[in-house]
Amino acid sequence: MFRRRIFGEIEPHRSKFWRYLRYAFLALALCAASFTLYLDFRVRSEFEGRRFALPARIYARPLELHAGLRVPQADVIDELRDNNYREGIREGDSGWFVRDSDWVEIAVRPFRFWDGQQNALRVRVNFDASGVVQKVQDSQGADLPLVRLEPLPIGGIYPGNNQDRVLVRLSEVPKPLVQALVSTEDRAFYTHHGYDLRGIARAAWSFLRGKGLQGGSTLTQQLVKNFFLTPERTLQRKGTELIMSVLLEMHYGKEEILETYLNEIYLGQDRDRAIHGVGLASLHYFGKTVDHLSLPEGAVLVALVKGPGVYDPYRHPDRALERRNLVLREMRNTNAITLEEFMLARSTGLGVNAKASTGTSTHPAFVDLVYRHLRRDYDEADLRSEGLRIFTTLDPRVQHKAEKVLERRITQFDRDKRFGDPGLEGAVVVTDSQTGEVEALVGGRDPRYRGFNRALDATRPVGSLLKPAIYLTALADPSHYTLITPIDDGPFVWKSRGAPDWEPMNYDRQFHGAVPLRVALAQSLNVATARLGTDIGISRVLGTVQRLGIEREMQPYASTLLGAVDLSPLEVAQMYQTIASGGFRSPLRAIREVTTQDGRPLKRYPLAVEQAFPAEPVYLITAAMQGVVREGTGQSLKNWLPPETAVAGKTGTTDEQRDAWFAGFTGDKLAIVWIGYDDNRAARLTGAGAALPIWGEIMASLAPEPLALPKPEGIETVRIDPQSGLRADGGCEGSLELPFANGSAPVERAPCASAVGTAIDNVKQTTKNWWQKLWGR
Amino acid sequence: MNLRSRTVAALAVFVSACVGTPRPEPGPPPPSPYPSSTPLHAESPAIASLMDGARTDYAAGRLANAAASLERALRIEPRNPRLWQELSRVRLLQRDYVQAESCAQRSNSWAGGDTLLVADNWRLIAQAREARGDSDGVRAARDAAERLK
Repeated sequence: MFRRRIFGEIEPHRSKFWRYLRYAFLALALCAASFTLYLDFRVRSEFEGRRFALPARIYARPLELHAGLRVPQADVIDELRDNNYREGIREGDSGWFVRDSDWVEIAVRPFRFWDGQQNALRVRVNFDASGVVQKVQDSQGADLPLVRLEPLPIGGIYPGNNQDRVLVRLSEVPKPLVQALVSTEDRAFYTHHGYDLRGIARAAWSFLRGKGLQGGSTLTQQLVKNFFLTPERTLQRKGTELIMSVLLEMHYGKEEILETYLNEIYLGQDRDRAIHGVGLASLHYFGKTVDHLSLPEGAVLVALVKGPGVYDPYRHPDRALERRNLVLREMRNTNAITLEEFMLARSTGLGVNAKASTGTSTHPAFVDLVYRHLRRDYDEADLRSEGLRIFTTLDPRVQHKAEKVLERRITQFDRDKRFGDPGLEGAVVVTDSQTGEVEALVGGRDPRYRGFNRALDATRPVGSLLKPAIYLTALADPSHYTLITPIDDGPFVWKSRGAPDWEPMNYDRQFHGAVPLRVALAQSLNVATARLGTDIGISRVLGTVQRLGIEREMQPYASTLLGAVDLSPLEVAQMYQTIASGGFRSPLRAIREVTTQDGRPLKRYPLAVEQAFPAEPVYLITAAMQGVVREGTGQSLKNWLPPETAVAGKTGTTDEQRDAWFAGFTGDKLAIVWIGYDDNRAARLTGAGAALPIWGEIMASLAPEPLALPKPEGIETVRIDPQSGLRADGGCEGSLELPFANGSAPVERAPCASAVGTAIDNVKQTTKNWWQKLWGR
Repeated sequence: MNLRSRTVAALAVFVSACVGTPRPEPGPPPPSPYPSSTPLHAESPAIASLMDGARTDYAAGRLANAAASLERALRIEPRNPRLWQELSRVRLLQRDYVQAESCAQRSNSWAGGDTLLVADNWRLIAQAREARGDSDGVRAARDAAERLK
């Protein structure tokens, strides 16, 4: 356009033509100069403050090895393998392990923990046959009190483009790798000024022959292209790239450019995660830090520069090997390596890890929880770019087991039921019952799915899971309620103004008359519970629910008592956590510490406890919940765990069996399992039939500690005859020991009790009085 | 290595540090926690090493690290009342009086028949309540400690 206009005017005025031409040149030169200045500004400002966006890196809890730890050898080995420890050879100072039937020798990698650096060390761990660590020793055979293994990385919070990298200094990169790169990609790198005339000539030739724009780029140009420009290939962009390369070379030294290149270069794809830089690539492909790469391994990375997809050593091992050998040959041709080195390197295999791909996270549901917690304290941009290190509470062992069991069982139920698509779903939350740390979180049957996180976001009716709150409220008032107080399970109608009558029904559609309180909970009787809850007062029960840790607002309707209230599995976990830890509420935590990328501590999330209930009623409700498992709706748990584990739990099934729940705890673990359909279809599964087996199988695989609460001062144990609800002794068949708040146990003795000298008539009299007293109230 | 002498030394450092350092913030000074009398050799080696580290950090004023070590120990032995008590001491020094009291109560819940430990806990609770200006609470806690004598 511009040119044509000029030419349109030259014919009549030749002298003017030269003048205009001069102007035009001047304008062009000005344009070029300002463009160059602009580029110079960009190069300097962006490269000067060059900061790669580093994802926040999320770690699982470190495994702490010490004598007495209950962990099977196989689980320790699994964790080492997951963490890319090499098995079987004592090679290098760290990152390997050697094992025998009852011990494992580990060369632990150095790691910067929240509270300081732990250097590489070699330990030997002995196990006994029952899966308990016997001793942990150093290489000299001295006992070590406690050894932390480096924590497993479980994901990150990535920049928008999902680029991942581990920054390295040029000094850490082995020389052969650099030589391989220069020999293959840009032989003149150390001498050129950002461009290579021969390369440009070659590129121009191929362009003129119609083969498109390709090749001929120096390392500097490649860096400029990746760093500043978009990937399209036009002549104009090629020019810009050339100018910027020259500018870059003018301002910065070769070493700086090379270091940036080595950190920038794209070297592969791991699902949705882009592998950038040799630092991460060496970890990803070889499971070692870049300074430990051998010549042929470095050559594999350099081979990937040309096309990480085409030369992917996992998908195209032949092509990758061929390209690697080409890289080695180029090195030989430039005399970077000797003939012997060349021959030796060429004869080795690719040697890449057999590691499964992880993508941006191996446990997206848990990482989602971590992310949401972090968002309370950090900016999104900081999380995605500052390279923060997040130390979490995830226990990979528990997480794997929870994922596997849920996936397998749901698939099984789905096959049995054939209820069509979309299939059944589920969620699992496992916590440390004493500290409130979240050890595992599964958000659906496909644990790798990064979508709807049911453990956090599926709020579903909880059904009978709310009952313990009602019974806890009752038991906190020992002058009126004990574990054996008879509760009337006869027909019940609740009338309230402005609402339709509420007539709860039992699961078996029958009424059971007067039943002891503990039995009403064990059998999950709806009618007795509704009567109990309305007697105590709905608002008092809701107060208990709140004190247990539920922040969600609840409607004070009578139907709320029977669980017509929607909670997420995580919320349910919080509620049961408070009971499991003896009435001390600890907010559930997924994060322990946050540090900067170089290990400076930023924030701790400390263990916090608050006594929400006195010890006595919590002790009583726990005993009642142990009754649920011993003789109530949770009985089938005996198929998974021995009675000594003394699990306290509760089943939950909602209307038309849309939701199946099981919530319970042992001495050290608490777990919540939910199963149902996302679209609320009737699942025809009960808490006991579907959620409980999953709970049982997960727990059984974790060998949980038995539940043995310390008996509070205000509790006494009394032997009771279940028939009469009176004091019993050894003479009473089927009598059982039950806890009572001091002074609340019955004083009268049962007829069966061998109370010497007590007239039978007398006992009968008191029995009658007792019953009369009860029903007279 | 003599753990006990190290602990005593550590505590001595801590006490002198407490006396010598001016308080930067206004408000009531945190009461100096009743020194721990728990011998470390009663604990398993793992717990003893963490408690020892916590006491060293505590003496040096690295309270966050001391708390972190105690939390590490609590993950191993959540039912150890001595750990909860130590954590209560650290929280007291961190001026986190609510947590100091809660931790002491948690310690009580696992104390079993150890009346000395329980009495110590009540004294810690009294200190925490005093710092919060809860004079009735202080009296109640002191009475509870007295009753155990």
